[in-house]
Amino acid sequence: MRKANAVTLFFAFLLVPFLAYGAGYYEGKTLTIVVGYKPGGGYDSYARLIAKHLPKYLPGNPTIVIQSMPGANSIIGANHLYGAAKPDGLTIGTFNNGLVIAQLTRVEGVSYDLTKLSWIGSLANDAAVLTVRTDLPFKTVDDLRKAKEPVIIGATGPGSSTFDFPALLKEFAGINVKIIPGYSSSADVMLAIERKEVDGRAGSYASILPFIERGLVRPLVRTRVSVPEIEKLPVDEDLATSARGKAILAIRSTPEAIYRPYAAPPGTPPEVVKILREAFAKVTQDKELLADAKKGKLPVDYVSAEESLKLVREVLKQPPEVVQEIAKYIRFGD
Amino acid sequence: MLDAFVQGLVVIFEWQTFLMMLLGIFLGFWVGLLPGLGGATTLALMLPFIYKMNPVEAFAFLLGMHSVTATTGDITSVLFGVPGEGSTAATILDGHAMAKKGEAGRALGAALMSSLVGALIGAFALALAIPVVRPLVLTFGAPELFMLAVVGIAFISSLSGQGGRALLRGFLAGLLGLLVSLVGQDPQGGVQRFTFGQLYLWSGLDLVPVLVGLFAIPEIMDLAVRGTSIAGEISEKNLNRGVWQGVKDTFHHFWLTVRCSLVGTFIGILPGLGGGVAQWIAYGHATQSARDSTERSGFGKGDVRGVLGPGAANNSKEGGSLIPTIAFGVPGSSSMAILLGAFFLQGIIPGPDMLDKHLVLTFSMVWTMVVANVITVAVSLVFLNQLAKLTMIRGSILIPFILLLAFIGAYTSNNHVGDLLVFLIFGLVGYVMIRCGWPRAPLVLGFVLGKIAENNFYISTIRYSGAWLHRPVVLVLLAITLVVVTYPFLQMRERKSQIDEAIA
Repeated sequence: MRKANAVTLFFAFLLVPFLAYGAGYYEGKTLTIVVGYKPGGGYDSYARLIAKHLPKYLPGNPTIVIQSMPGANSIIGANHLYGAAKPDGLTIGTFNNGLVIAQLTRVEGVSYDLTKLSWIGSLANDAAVLTVRTDLPFKTVDDLRKAKEPVIIGATGPGSSTFDFPALLKEFAGINVKIIPGYSSSADVMLAIERKEVDGRAGSYASILPFIERGLVRPLVRTRVSVPEIEKLPVDEDLATSARGKAILAIRSTPEAIYRPYAAPPGTPPEVVKILREAFAKVTQDKELLADAKKGKLPVDYVSAEESLKLVREVLKQPPEVVQEIAKYIRFGD
Repeated sequence: MLDAFVQGLVVIFEWQTFLMMLLGIFLGFWVGLLPGLGGATTLALMLPFIYKMNPVEAFAFLLGMHSVTATTGDITSVLFGVPGEGSTAATILDGHAMAKKGEAGRALGAALMSSLVGALIGAFALALAIPVVRPLVLTFGAPELFMLAVVGIAFISSLSGQGGRALLRGFLAGLLGLLVSLVGQDPQGGVQRFTFGQLYLWSGLDLVPVLVGLFAIPEIMDLAVRGTSIAGEISEKNLNRGVWQGVKDTFHHFWLTVRCSLVGTFIGILPGLGGGVAQWIAYGHATQSARDSTERSGFGKGDVRGVLGPGAANNSKEGGSLIPTIAFGVPGSSSMAILLGAFFLQGIIPGPDMLDKHLVLTFSMVWTMVVANVITVAVSLVFLNQLAKLTMIRGSILIPFILLLAFIGAYTSNNHVGDLLVFLIFGLVGYVMIRCGWPRAPLVLGFVLGKIAENNFYISTIRYSGAWLHRPVVLVLLAITLVVVTYPFLQMRERKSQIDEAIA
């Protein structure tokens, strides 16, 4: 009898993880998604899209809430996720994909280590493109190289792809451009294009797409992540005239493959992480989510946790001398 | 065109659409009243609900909500001296001063009625501007925006008190504001300015905690020190008469209200100037309407014109800020950036099509803003006398609530403890400034315009070298700047000669 009790007890202990993390782990609980930005932007829109559709793929259908933690281009949010959030699977977060470069170049204030986060994956990838006005005669990158007067590119500021991408192309691919930072948002740059104050802009393909479709600007060069419609455009790293330039351009655009990253705090129980990963993998195939995403112009293309982490490590494994070079050209900012 | 104009009105009175608008108005009413909830944040929260609506319903809902927040935000500003929205802070200066004189009802009546006039003018400006909107927006490049910021900064001369000493204080306060606007990473070199190694300061100081601190804390301290109710020892009978008086004031100073509405619309049209600017320039303009120095010194102590100006401008700018959003797909403010997301959700690409293929929808948006404001003001007028009674409640009971509202209001801008520190620091600054007789408005003006001036000056110079100085609009704005700067001096001289004449 006593022995039987002990055996039951033993099996009960074995069962604990399954009871705790299995069938009803999220039942009656709230899952918080920490977003490193204010409401309204791209990271926030994706989080809300997920919050709407994810519950039905989690055991116990939890409520999902969004917590905005803006500041320092989402470093504040990532630091919180890394150092302060409880690793119980009830808090996950999303942050700027470029944070890996901030970690690489040791930006002041970074206290997170992306390799230690419990990765869930990325919801989408995106390519950066450089576009110029369609009423100008520049149709290829070569035209930009041969331009007699510098082509004027409007930008927000260092640390954004509107600035860094054309700056690197100028340095390493020899295009004749003059970059003017200081616009308050990328939408503001678009308006400057309309009034012909500037000749073009760079930025994420998804965000410029409406203006390409309207015939205002045309893309001339893209980064390595391939999006079907612009597959034929030349890729930035192939245009670099030196090996060093090629390497730096490649590193800048690597994180774009995990454009909308999601992760849980370090030390989140593997069982819970597994639940979350599976749920993300499924929800990104969900027909209703895809329909909403299409309406909101939020492309969805899930990248697995393993793949995400691999890319992060790939960026971070640079030797110190390369890191120094990168830090010279890419300043992570707000 | 006329057809679409009428059609736009008809569609918003279809019952589902109208119901959605009423729901929006109800939400917007509360969002405006509560300092913590901003119009932009709420728009973002409501976006998921529009998936199932058709475009007209969706925008009736969103714009119905959005266009009343500035209206009801004025109520909190007047009653408690806590800005209900970042864009309703200027109403505090005279609105809350009136409440302290026992004229809360009158101030509320004036704020609401001028809001209505502003909203109507903004909406009709939007309707009228539709044919010329593209050239209008395209005329204003970086050089023109820089000069506009300079015109705005020049209003410091009107917002300071009178006499050399007061002007000097005004300019110093304005400079402090410009200095505060420098905090954060600069967009040219990526240098961190005055961030003291704090991540929180990277993106600069937020408008809301600064404003709430600057205005609410001194009022709370004042209330605590006086130990009475906000309205002091005024009998309730006096209080109740006010609302109609306030409504009448709006029409008594009708042209001022109209001019300030136009100022608001114009600033709204230009993307990048931001919602914080219109109210202060309108306030500055209102102070210019003072006919003599006694009248001028009444501003800040409860002159109803100081309520009418910002009240009108912060509503009319909403109509204006829709213009770049629908005509170019380029948002004029953070709220409009979120609204742009709503356009995409509805499968509409804002841009030239909105003035052509979707013209009925565009006009339905104009009408939504008009109808939503009419309903809000009509409903509010019924309750205003009751609301005004809040100023009769003993301070010791009211203070905890106001303090809570102020703290939450500051904290929700970033959900960061830094917000509270900024709030408290600027509260202290505001208190010291009041005690020493320094004007706060120039500080705010410098703060909201500093970054705009800096960035556009940089862009202009890099892009055009010195050539931007010859652009015609720049020259016109330069002339306006000179007039604005010298106006108080001219006024002073004129008065002096009048007095001399009288003596002789």
